[in-house]
Amino acid sequence: MTRGSNRLTSVLSDNRVGLLLLIVVLVVLIGSLKPMFFSPAFVIGPMLTSIAIFTVVGLAQMVVLSVGQMNLAVGGMAAIGAMGSAMVFQAFDVPLIVGIAIGLVFGGAVGALCGVLIAYAGVNSFVVTLAMSFALLGLVPAVYSWVSTGNAITVQTPGLAELGRSKLSDLCIGDTCGPDGIPLILFVAVAAMIVIGLLYSKSRIGREILLTGSNDRAALLSAIPVPRRIITVHTLSGMLAALAGFMLGASTGSFTPGIGQEFMLQSFLGPILGGTLLAGGYVSVIGTFLGITLTVVIRQGLLLFGVGIEGLNILLGTILLIALSADRIRSVAGARSRLRASRQQSPAQPKEEAVVS
Amino acid sequence: MTDTAYALEVRGITKTFPGVRALDEVNLRLKPGEVHALLGENGAGKSTLIKIITGIQPQDSGELIVNGEAQTFRSAHEATRAGIGVVHQERNVITDFTVAENIVLGNTPVKGGRVQWREVREGAKRVLDLLDFPIDPATPTSLLSPAQTQLVEIARGLYTDSAVLLLDEPTASISETESKLLFDVVHRLAAQGRAILFVSHKLEEVFAHCDTVTVFRDGRSVAESEPLANYSKDTIVDLLVGRTLAKLEVPVRSPSEAGTPALELRDVSTAGGHRDVSFAVHPGQILGIYGLVGAGRSELAKAILGLDRITSGEVRVNGAPAQIRSVGDALGRYGIGYVTEDRKAEGLFLDQTVARNLTVTVLKRLSNAFGFVRERAARATADEYIASLDVKVSNRDQLVGQLSGGNQQKVSLGKWLAANTDTLIIDEPTVGIDVRTKGAFYQLIWALAEQGKAVLVISSDLAEMVTLVDRIVVMQDFEVTGSVTNTHDYDEMSKSVIRLIHEERIDVVEG
Repeated sequence: MTRGSNRLTSVLSDNRVGLLLLIVVLVVLIGSLKPMFFSPAFVIGPMLTSIAIFTVVGLAQMVVLSVGQMNLAVGGMAAIGAMGSAMVFQAFDVPLIVGIAIGLVFGGAVGALCGVLIAYAGVNSFVVTLAMSFALLGLVPAVYSWVSTGNAITVQTPGLAELGRSKLSDLCIGDTCGPDGIPLILFVAVAAMIVIGLLYSKSRIGREILLTGSNDRAALLSAIPVPRRIITVHTLSGMLAALAGFMLGASTGSFTPGIGQEFMLQSFLGPILGGTLLAGGYVSVIGTFLGITLTVVIRQGLLLFGVGIEGLNILLGTILLIALSADRIRSVAGARSRLRASRQQSPAQPKEEAVVS
Repeated sequence: MTDTAYALEVRGITKTFPGVRALDEVNLRLKPGEVHALLGENGAGKSTLIKIITGIQPQDSGELIVNGEAQTFRSAHEATRAGIGVVHQERNVITDFTVAENIVLGNTPVKGGRVQWREVREGAKRVLDLLDFPIDPATPTSLLSPAQTQLVEIARGLYTDSAVLLLDEPTASISETESKLLFDVVHRLAAQGRAILFVSHKLEEVFAHCDTVTVFRDGRSVAESEPLANYSKDTIVDLLVGRTLAKLEVPVRSPSEAGTPALELRDVSTAGGHRDVSFAVHPGQILGIYGLVGAGRSELAKAILGLDRITSGEVRVNGAPAQIRSVGDALGRYGIGYVTEDRKAEGLFLDQTVARNLTVTVLKRLSNAFGFVRERAARATADEYIASLDVKVSNRDQLVGQLSGGNQQKVSLGKWLAANTDTLIIDEPTVGIDVRTKGAFYQLIWALAEQGKAVLVISSDLAEMVTLVDRIVVMQDFEVTGSVTNTHDYDEMSKSVIRLIHEERIDVVEG
């Protein structure tokens, strides 16, 4: 999404092209062995719903990674955001959009709190968000059992079921209907991708965030409001996590404390596979989407072959480890080629001079 | 053929990198007991030769003879064992380790798998004493200033008791007085029969302390192990750049010290330990702040920018009291910019493009009402400063980490020129930069002052101060001990500055 440099971009875009090819090969392979894989209603639709939700989760992690930090509480923030939406739907019968907004405020507030602790108290993001995830793990079920019976809130707000569970085939203009298998909720993820993409590629704040991730000391000494940008990314992360939590609740029709429990691994898999640097300073929105798509395709494919959830977790964990090693190799290789470039460059300069004089 | 008259002999060494011949049959002969200067502009091949001599890279062809034996080092360890000690230009100190641990690094005394800590401490103490550097070997290196860190590097080079000692710009970031200490040690080591190879960009030092000289240009040796007495500064500079360089025209400047100062400190004390610091810099004036290691110069700049707490006294900008809480405040509300000393750690975003580095301070101005960066304006700004500073880049989207030191420094300065502040604080403007680029920087700073900017230059290079600034403020132990108007006469200025530092020392002793 954002231009790092000529060389870096070419490497990373290769990475994205590689991801895309891998996805296509896997889809063709799985589909030819199990034609069921192409069933719009039973596989494609649910798969795209998962991709939509996890892409937003991936973005929630990506924005924090962009300053070289991490958010271990994405799951908890998703849970509290979804809970916030569900509670206002239940208690006040507000319109859909207001409920979503309230959920984002819940998630964003928790994220902002983490950001403030990290930026001003100087505590490591790892510690702050880990502690926050434990606090939320206790808080969210407690509130659910207090406001609801059976530890779940079923929301009947008009439009929610349509947004969460309808497909393009349900939308018809006259006699022409959209294709089956494409869930409406996918467009929520696309909207989130566009907003985050614009933020990082075009806006001043996005650029300040990336520069903070590149070298926070230099950023501070270059008049960038570093603490404010750290709070910005954590707030944004909380809001995106809340949005993902809401999407999950809307797609199943019920809001429970269990929302967000399987978000953590996915949140790292998407950005890292997609080329976002753990050290900060470079992000890829499309890469995050492709990374998530790959993991969801693998997961769905293996489910069709009857591989259990334990086997899946082992596999996804292994993929993350490989992706992290690749991140390390990328940065080492980057440093090496920089060194080579500078070695070649420095003796070359006097040669230019010789031509001049 | 062995000739034991030389401690180190380089015969026709050639080294080629893909596409570039870095060294082309260079020669160098180093006798025991001599201090030999190796000179050359950035990229002339000095660093490559040092890497070959110290075993970091092998040569393609040619002979390296150490104490009469032909050697091809395959590792740095082999070079150390052959009696070659080196102080590298980059600081290779591990900040999590203590001073002693860093000194013995790579040569740690071990017996039966256990580190001999007593030997570590005593060995470290011995070389620190040799350097006359009064610091506890158990001090964590993270607490040291850049100059003190440099001394630790030098101590490491001395620790292995080498017959040949290579000093790669050891004085680039240390002050005059410390340099004197260092040269005392160098002369002592030479008197003991050690051979010293000394790489520096500071010609004053070279002429004051070296016996012989080798000059590299474009990977060739244009002067080979000749007595330095055969040359003058001018002839050396001609050799370095390969043509008669237009002599740096020091402009006749008569800045006014009347009227309201652009930036004034009145009895400022800080949480960091400064006591009652006062000085003023006027529009159009270049004020130098000179001091020894740990005198608190960079720390003072950071306190002015709000990165350290001011406990008493006041900072005044254009005559009015100023409350500066951050660099953003300094830039946005008071028009003050700060070019950092350590460009890699604090000045630049090495993995970002030249364009992004150059526009960082002006992002607000380059954004529209919706907070989006106006790309065309940003590109124009980047191109403007690439052109006006003559930054050597393939294009504006090249990564800053790929540029040479001099060009990186131009970017580091350029991002603050883009901000167009009324007052600019420049910390160590030309560390590790060659003669020609230095000249370009001085011209730039004079031009800034001509435009009516107030410029504060912090430097530990007295020769630089004497060339560049209008008035020198001397700092010692976090206090200002006095200031002198610059007469541009090196000997005279050197005497008055040393006197200012010295008086303070006597006061301390008496008090």
